[in-house]
Amino acid sequence: MKTRALMSLTALLGLAGCATTPKPPPDENAPPPAVPAQAAAPEPAPRPARPEAVPATPLRQPKPMEQVVLARPDSPIVSFRLVFHTGSVDDPKGKEGLTALTAQLMAEGGTQKLTASQLLEALYPMAAELDVFVDKEFTTFSGRVHKDFLTRFQDIFTDVLLAPRLDAAELERLRANAISDVENGLRSANDEALGKVALDALLYQGHPYAHFTGGTVQGLKAITLDDVKAHAQHVFTQDRLVIGLAGAVDDALAQALSSRLSALPAKGAPRVELPAVPTTAGRTVIIQKPTLSTAVSMGFVSTIRRGDPDFFPVAFAMSNLGEHRQSIGVLFTELREKRGLNYGDYAYAEHFIESPGTTYNRTNIARTQQDLSLWIRPVVPTNGVFATRGAVFFLDQMVKEGIPQERFELMRGFLQGYTRLWEQTDQRRLGYAIDGLFYGTPDFLEQYRQAMSKMTPQSVQEALRRRVQPEALNFAFVTEDAEGLAQALRSGAPSPITYASPKPEELLTQDQSISSSKLPLRPEAIQVIPAQQFMEK
Amino acid sequence: MRRLLPLLLLLLGTALPAAAAPAPASNAFPYTLHTDTLPNGLTVVRVPYPSRGIIAYVTVVRVGSRNEVEPGRTGFAHFFEHMMFKGTKTHPEGDRERILGNFGYDDNAFTTDDITLYYSYGPTAGLPQLIEIEADRFRNLEYSEPSFQTEALAVLGEYHKNAAAPFLKMEEELNAAAFTRHTYQHTTMGFYKDIQAMPQAYDYSRTFFERWYTPDNTLLFIIGDFDDAKVMELVRQHYGPWDRKAAQVSVPAEPPQKGPRTAHIDWPQPTQPRQVIAWRTPGAGTSPADAAIQTLLVDYLAGPTSPAYKTLVLDKQLVESIGSDYSEHRDPHLFTLTATLKDERHRDTVRKTLLQEVSRLAAGRVDAARLKAIQDHARYGALMALETPRDVGIQLGWYAGVTGSPDGFQRHLQSLPKVTPAQLSDFTKRYLTANKLILLSLTPKTDAQGGTK
Repeated sequence: MKTRALMSLTALLGLAGCATTPKPPPDENAPPPAVPAQAAAPEPAPRPARPEAVPATPLRQPKPMEQVVLARPDSPIVSFRLVFHTGSVDDPKGKEGLTALTAQLMAEGGTQKLTASQLLEALYPMAAELDVFVDKEFTTFSGRVHKDFLTRFQDIFTDVLLAPRLDAAELERLRANAISDVENGLRSANDEALGKVALDALLYQGHPYAHFTGGTVQGLKAITLDDVKAHAQHVFTQDRLVIGLAGAVDDALAQALSSRLSALPAKGAPRVELPAVPTTAGRTVIIQKPTLSTAVSMGFVSTIRRGDPDFFPVAFAMSNLGEHRQSIGVLFTELREKRGLNYGDYAYAEHFIESPGTTYNRTNIARTQQDLSLWIRPVVPTNGVFATRGAVFFLDQMVKEGIPQERFELMRGFLQGYTRLWEQTDQRRLGYAIDGLFYGTPDFLEQYRQAMSKMTPQSVQEALRRRVQPEALNFAFVTEDAEGLAQALRSGAPSPITYASPKPEELLTQDQSISSSKLPLRPEAIQVIPAQQFMEK
Repeated sequence: MRRLLPLLLLLLGTALPAAAAPAPASNAFPYTLHTDTLPNGLTVVRVPYPSRGIIAYVTVVRVGSRNEVEPGRTGFAHFFEHMMFKGTKTHPEGDRERILGNFGYDDNAFTTDDITLYYSYGPTAGLPQLIEIEADRFRNLEYSEPSFQTEALAVLGEYHKNAAAPFLKMEEELNAAAFTRHTYQHTTMGFYKDIQAMPQAYDYSRTFFERWYTPDNTLLFIIGDFDDAKVMELVRQHYGPWDRKAAQVSVPAEPPQKGPRTAHIDWPQPTQPRQVIAWRTPGAGTSPADAAIQTLLVDYLAGPTSPAYKTLVLDKQLVESIGSDYSEHRDPHLFTLTATLKDERHRDTVRKTLLQEVSRLAAGRVDAARLKAIQDHARYGALMALETPRDVGIQLGWYAGVTGSPDGFQRHLQSLPKVTPAQLSDFTKRYLTANKLILLSLTPKTDAQGGTK
């Protein structure tokens, strides 16, 4: 399924390193565009459209064990960040979750010298941190310790990689937790997160990104200890590793760390070849489960990623729609503040995973193929369709009409300051620097700030018109009455909203446009999945 | 904005306390507080911090769901926190976002049982505007009834979002079982029916503001890289004329508990069975020394190096995790042990194992080396956790709000290394007793299994 696409040569050239040539595609299945009934601005010129597929242009490859060292002598803390170019894409078919389970077993399961319990005891008085996070293409082992304990910690941290215990009982413990994370966590306890994973699965159907990073129930059950041992040797290798160090570090430490890690296998398994992702549009998945409310995610596989000239203006525009938990965003203001629909509404130009304890995106979740997404925090079910239409409406409005000058200036000021908060810790600074090696974007945040100083509302709108198509959206919902929602979506009937408090006339007029706007979804491409079946295998 | 409970829990999870053994190289709180009190009672604390042009601005009002004494008004402190972003005559709704937004501030707040904490985190360059706009809203907040009614729906959305996981319901049931009179019987979110009725409480919201948003009930913390004299001049200028006095309401005292209590939840969705063991214990506001003991007890009884963790999590693998939801409260609240079970069949074994650890401690069998490791962990943990001006501000604000003292956090850090094995044991013997016990169980029970919904 593809969207209408009339890719201009200019836009194509903008796709840095784009490997395939998109065909101009007749598409009888194309969804109708999301046109608000009374859209004011006339359409200027035909918009360039998307290619039929987003190619898998490889990320850049740093040299084996490339080092990133950010010394900060005024800090007593040392931060380690070992980023391996491996993630759930390396899970073999039928063993989904292998990379995550292997990484977890290494980080928690003890070393050859220390049992799991002794490892905890050793780290404990130092209050040292040792964590692992696995995403689609990257796995990050991070550690922090006070310099009082540097030597001891460095030994343990490197042993986790070089001499993990890989104990059978620990594997069973962590496997049980991982299965429970799917059965009880993902499917049951956080509708918003479930919606996001459902959207991933929909956008990347048939692609190695499609399954939950933490694995599938049957995939996790099929994993053996031998699988884990072999996988560790295949993916946690020198050629896939970037070494980050920050804080109270010097050359001797950097040298010593490299030297120890050179005991890792030199070369890993061949890279998984990622396929191109068809740029589907208008598909819908509804996850059915008992819940008080309806959560909504929408998005499409994006033709841009960091390093593309259009990335900064599109990221800027999506921030204008809504950074996570920032009340300045258009969606937050319109859907939550003015209409009281829910707790918040957000949008991102690249995949978003909240960094714990902050409202910022994680670092080192770089992806060859990116997605643009919007998400609506749970709303009462009666407002599910209206809220969805609202988000599409304001996205569409921004693409069609651009960002007004005053608003543009406001957002530019906001992001000039707010992006500085993204780099306030050593781990985050390292994260950005390491991402920069893979995307080819050194000094990424500084480049963003400089790019913003040169942007204009026109240049942003041009980039939006090239790269953001509301009609390309796909949708994921989590709700109790899935059939009722599917019926409402199929019918395309208006979804009026009523309020318990008076609203300005202008807002009510706008509501009429929203509630009767046509959602860019295809009635025949709506699928209902009971939560209990989601990520089963 | 706002509503940061999950964030707070995360912060507490990693950042919590911390001990100040005054080893020179490892002072657990390596920053200096400059504290002044304005004639109107506002406490202003400045903390120089080498953050290169970034500041955190934290305002703590000593009001939380504890103060909600009127029937039907539960959850109001939290709801009111949302309204604090709705504007004044000088800065009508939206103005704040434009002014602070222009500087790129992360501007948010959260409410707990005892405090409401507001923070803005961003460039020092915006500090003059920030001081002006903050003082203005605390002095002159004004919002329309429709705006109030609309925001009530956002709070309802927040409740719905939180209700998907079992934790909110567990807290509701545990509080209801533990407290018959004290306002801790409801959660910070409030009773669901009260949240649904919030749109009708506009007039009460004005009373709430006048009653609690007063300089003598508020502490201000400014952390980062700024000119102290200029900042204080602006603070005096803008906050000086604020002249309300905090009201006194009497929060009903909770009568002594005379015997164990139980509560149970059938959870209508798949989830792990849970077990909570709770006891009524002294509050941090009324007994700071006991607060230090409870902080250490969390790790002693259920931390990653505890015997219970080793047995239940690692060796026998009967539970996914054990821990505690303990957090400092102004009045006597709860000390808890929590277990996320792998299987309902192991509930008794898990409960007994945890209670045996408590009995052992009450009998005076204290592992002094482990206590020392916990105290070291606390000291270094504090150093690790104070990584940004915002981290420092939230920790200072939290403890100041709960204890009423601007240096509550340092006092807490200083108390931790002084706790002795005997004190740990005495406290356990005195408070973690059968008469003060409350057991909460949660069992997944879907409709097909005859569960409640």
